[in-house]
Amino acid sequence: PPRACDTYWSEFWHCKSLVNRFHHYYTYGTTPSCHQWKEDYYNCREWEKSRSTETKEALQRSERKRVAEQKNFDPVWELRCEPPKDWNLPLNQDNTEDS
Amino acid sequence: MKENTAKRCSKTACLHLTTSVNSCYTSQWKLVSAGFGSWFDQNGLLQFERKARGGLLLLKLSDVCLFLTGPYAKLLLTAMKSSGCEVLKERHFSCEDCDGTVSGGFDAASSQIVLCQNNIHQQSHMNRVVAHELIHAFDHCRAHVDWFNNYRHLACSEIRAANLSGDCSFVSEVFRLNFGLKQHQQECVRGRALRSILAVRKITREEAEKLVDSVFDSCFNDHAPFGRIPHSKKDAKFAHRDYANRDRYYANL
Repeated sequence: PPRACDTYWSEFWHCKSLVNRFHHYYTYGTTPSCHQWKEDYYNCREWEKSRSTETKEALQRSERKRVAEQKNFDPVWELRCEPPKDWNLPLNQDNTEDS
Repeated sequence: MKENTAKRCSKTACLHLTTSVNSCYTSQWKLVSAGFGSWFDQNGLLQFERKARGGLLLLKLSDVCLFLTGPYAKLLLTAMKSSGCEVLKERHFSCEDCDGTVSGGFDAASSQIVLCQNNIHQQSHMNRVVAHELIHAFDHCRAHVDWFNNYRHLACSEIRAANLSGDCSFVSEVFRLNFGLKQHQQECVRGRALRSILAVRKITREEAEKLVDSVFDSCFNDHAPFGRIPHSKKDAKFAHRDYANRDRYYANL
């Protein structure tokens, strides 16, 4: 599965925690929806037991939806294919007199 | 407006150098992002005097190290290394004396994060400044950010840095006596991005507000490389876990 089953469980409990609910309200003005993590956890465990296609597809659908939600914005800039050429160049130093 | 004048190298900032860089020098450099109390040249660009250049103050080296070992920085640094921009303390960080109340900046020309040692007095403040500037460095590394000519790019990076660095955490805002709750993070991010832009670019408040509005939805929701807004250490830890497992994750979608 895309994540270890325990990861879904820890994400679920983290999502439901008071601290996370506070941060979500502080950021978005709403309480977070956490049930999907729980569903994914049960699907993950079920898949481990039975290797059924249904649970696998349900899990994959859920994760693809998460990825789509994360990418749901128009980027302002163009991504690079390579890092900036001067990132690791040595610093130029113009020596001047010491005071 | 002050004029740019080359100043002599200040030896005091060099006294505690821990690296092998022995020479001090001064140069003009254009800050990409800064706080307040800076000034503009005739071209409308922020100008700063780098009074000394070199390695890190003995004290600050350990302070930076303390932050760089945490889960937040670990993820950022790993992501940057994967993108081909490995961050080396000696090369990419510089502690200097700055004028005004600026806490730090990212110098795209030299690929350095500048920490204003005379304006940072607490570890927690330093953590936030390093986090903020590392977001700029990350954006510089992964995207064609036109820092000087495209103000939308600048606004976007400032929004991301304010949003993801902890600048706008509930606690930070309370210390500034800003007691907002519902959706206050967004208000804070807008306000801080606006102030950062006005500090480094000579434009009107209205123009800056329009800029921030035009890119806000896109940039507020861009949480790269975290995948979420890291409000807490646990958020950062989980984000790091996700990043470390990304190959498995995408292979199984």
